[in-house]
Amino acid sequence: MRRRKRMMEDLDEDIREHIAMEAQDNIERGMSPEEAHYAAVRKFGNVTRVKEEAREVWSVAWPEQLLQDIRFGSRTLRKSPGFTIVAILTLALGIGANTAIFSVVNAVLLRPLPYANPGQLALLPEASPKQGITDAGMSYPSLLELRDYSHVFSGIAGLASHSLTLTGRGEPSEARTIVVTQDFFSVFDTKTQLGRSLLPGDGEQGAAPVVVLSDGMWRSQFGADPKIIGSPITLDMRPYTVVGVMPAEFRTPFFDQADQLWIPLVQDPLFSGWMNHPPQTHWMAVFARLRPGVSFTKAKAEMDTLSARLAEEFPAEKGWQIQEVQPLQQAIVGDVKSPLLILSCAVGLVLLIACANIANLLLTRATSRSREIAVRIALGAPKRRITRQLLTESAILGIFGGVAGMFLAYLGVSALISLLPPGLPRIHAIRVDWSVLGFALVLSLAASFVFGLAPVLSAAKSDPQTNLREGARAGEATSSQRARSFLAAVEVALAMVLLVGAGLLLRSFARLTSVSPGFEPKGIVKAMVSLPQFQYSTQQQWTAFATELMTRLQTAPGMQDSACAAPLPIKDGQINLPFEIVGNPPLPAGAANTADYVTASPRYFSVMGIPLLRGRLFNASDSPSSPPVALISGALARRYFANQDPVGRHLVFGFFPPNGTASREIVGVVGDVHDVSLGKKPEPMMYVLFAQAPLYGCEVVVRSKLSASAVAAAIRTETHNIDKNLPVTDVATLPGALSASVAEPRFRTMILGLFSAIALALAAVGIFGVISYSVSRRTHEIGIRMALGAGRHDVVKLVVGECLRLTVIGVAVGILGALAFSRLLVSLLFDVEPTNPLTFVVASLLLTTVALVACYIPVRRAIRVDPVVALRYE
Amino acid sequence: MSTKEQKERIELLQGTLDLLILRTLLLGPTHGHAVAKAIEFNSDEVLQVEQGSLYPALHRLVKRRWISVEEGTSENNRRAKFYRLTAKGRRQLVVETSKWDKLAGAIARILRPAEQEGES
Repeated sequence: MRRRKRMMEDLDEDIREHIAMEAQDNIERGMSPEEAHYAAVRKFGNVTRVKEEAREVWSVAWPEQLLQDIRFGSRTLRKSPGFTIVAILTLALGIGANTAIFSVVNAVLLRPLPYANPGQLALLPEASPKQGITDAGMSYPSLLELRDYSHVFSGIAGLASHSLTLTGRGEPSEARTIVVTQDFFSVFDTKTQLGRSLLPGDGEQGAAPVVVLSDGMWRSQFGADPKIIGSPITLDMRPYTVVGVMPAEFRTPFFDQADQLWIPLVQDPLFSGWMNHPPQTHWMAVFARLRPGVSFTKAKAEMDTLSARLAEEFPAEKGWQIQEVQPLQQAIVGDVKSPLLILSCAVGLVLLIACANIANLLLTRATSRSREIAVRIALGAPKRRITRQLLTESAILGIFGGVAGMFLAYLGVSALISLLPPGLPRIHAIRVDWSVLGFALVLSLAASFVFGLAPVLSAAKSDPQTNLREGARAGEATSSQRARSFLAAVEVALAMVLLVGAGLLLRSFARLTSVSPGFEPKGIVKAMVSLPQFQYSTQQQWTAFATELMTRLQTAPGMQDSACAAPLPIKDGQINLPFEIVGNPPLPAGAANTADYVTASPRYFSVMGIPLLRGRLFNASDSPSSPPVALISGALARRYFANQDPVGRHLVFGFFPPNGTASREIVGVVGDVHDVSLGKKPEPMMYVLFAQAPLYGCEVVVRSKLSASAVAAAIRTETHNIDKNLPVTDVATLPGALSASVAEPRFRTMILGLFSAIALALAAVGIFGVISYSVSRRTHEIGIRMALGAGRHDVVKLVVGECLRLTVIGVAVGILGALAFSRLLVSLLFDVEPTNPLTFVVASLLLTTVALVACYIPVRRAIRVDPVVALRYE
Repeated sequence: MSTKEQKERIELLQGTLDLLILRTLLLGPTHGHAVAKAIEFNSDEVLQVEQGSLYPALHRLVKRRWISVEEGTSENNRRAKFYRLTAKGRRQLVVETSKWDKLAGAIARILRPAEQEGES
């Protein structure tokens, strides 16, 4: 197009030059200048026409033709509104579902993390392969060692997180606090929107306590006060000066809450005490930024060297190593990648079915239009032009369907977000933005090309001469009827794949939710109370608070029974501790027995309904001053005391800072509890008495017949009667918490179920279309058969046979596809084989039944054919 | 159907002019006026094209990339566009020439008997 501009711009001058040269020649031949000029102009001809012709050379014919095609296409589509609406709605459904899922995939998997050069960021988990521990954190001394001796990173930062109590502004509230080493903000390399982030000096011992707020926290708690910088806020009854506010999109990796704040490690009431903990306490998540040009492999090689060195320096670290230098994006989305990709596949299948359906509709229309097309070819329209016209028509459908689909997606995404499991990373970034709309547009055009090919191919095959001949209907349609049956069978096959997938997930979900958690959740409300550690600094205070709260709750009206414990079951983030069995030979270095640790008040087991299997529960005779006691779970007893009586034996273990390790007598064995999740086997567990191993706060469980909100209010009241500055958080009923714990599989199951329902409906429509068209085409034939003595029964057999043939072929192919698809699902299935025969049988039967229902109306039409009328017809 | 006939005639003329331009440029790059002059001169002034119609033809050839255009200076020191035959144009010239030869031969075979009849 640059040539065009250049040629057209200079044309005037070219013409002037040309005439001037010609005039010059004329003068040389002896004419007067005036005469010479006029002769030259005459010889040149009409300047305006020349310019117009030149412009025409460059003008492009296709926009005009496209406009014609669009005008003609919209006119034909308007003329058959039924077809157009069905096609557009079908496509809108497909595009809408795909766009909605894409908006999630885009936000979670595709969009780069909101940090500068996110490709350089890495997570450094530690692992001890011998003990089977992976994805553990790091101790502060190990972090310092890494920071000082590694060359591949431009920065390393560690963080831990908990909640501190924000007071002084209305109701006391829990503030999600990210406790960071001083390099945190330089590693993530993000500027504040207000004030400054943390400086190295803030991380020094004895520095003034400072805090950086997230945008969400700044808005929700401080009314977006622009003068917040420099003012103090109170966390755990201690003043911190606000030095900065981060921009809205900045979140700590793995912590997606909008409301969060960052404080230096040295200023944290809990974790500052852990800075001197030895290297075997793996409590910090460690992040690093690779120097430019350093590869992850190279970084890992250096980490291996450093791990060996750490093990030498700290013998307790033997067997531990930096597991990997994991790209941060992968670390964040690794777990959800495959479920999301499976959903994308499933929703892609839905779109394919929708396309097959529309292609079928178009084919049916193409047959009725074959004469029109034949006329146009006979009148000299080149095939290319007809192809373009047909594709334009499909593209119009595609664009309308796409726009309607975008609208559906826009509505769907907000519904989808509310359905999404809360654990999904980067959920806050999900929205319908330009890239999502662009995806929808490209997808609709691609789809319209796919289904648009059907009528084009059928038009290309058709012979204008046969089509123009009067009454040449029967012969013409054989190949295109075959194509229609093929498409319907494809729809059935794809629907089969989705049905089997959804069926497997449904069975898996049913299995999962029928697992007994090991306790009786009904009628229990839980809540968490944590104690600010500057105020409540001693173990005696913690025990006293818990005892007081329990006493008050026991006597409060309507509360049947209450207890406290930490941590409660069905929670990711159990405390897994090593233990030794007194009297057993010592384990080799680097190996350890581990079990999940729970500290509980005596009534915990009766409140939760955890059965006692042997020995006794904690009772009144156990106190802080009496010998330490422990309860173990059945799993621990079976694994470590096979054929022995564990009661009376001693275990040595303890939770880190408060009470250290102690030798505890096993006084009883209790039932197993699914402490991590319903989907994971109950792990060995050991329980200690809260009074002998208290924590700064606890999770309260109350059994009551009152409503959950009444119980929650009672817990709040009693807590505030003790101390009005204590926040009560995480209030939930245990059945609710249990149901929330399976939010992710439930979401998958629901979405795949929805997709397969859509697929089933579309396939039914497809079969209906093909069979009813076939019946109308064979009216004549059916009439002859009836005239020759065929009964209704034979006619039904004829039509149903056709329907069954394509269904069975579709189901058979679908089973093969489903076998491939279900293999992808393996990681998502709980206690169900991907080849579960029952699921395949049920899906096949369901599909066949739906197919038969879909051909009910065509069958009725077929048996009502009046042979006399049908034969007179031609 | 008269429009169609007219169109064909124009196409025929266009094709011929294109062929003449390509043939002229085979001798070397030159400007529009020189092309017009060369065609007149080489055909012993039999082919009197309206010089203006040369320009749409040149544009068409540039668009098809049979000739390229560059800045140059004419013999009397005026700035002018110089047109140069491209490799593609050279190939096209061979094709067009042989087409033209065939056409001319066919027409000649049709016309010759008539002439002979007229002579006898």
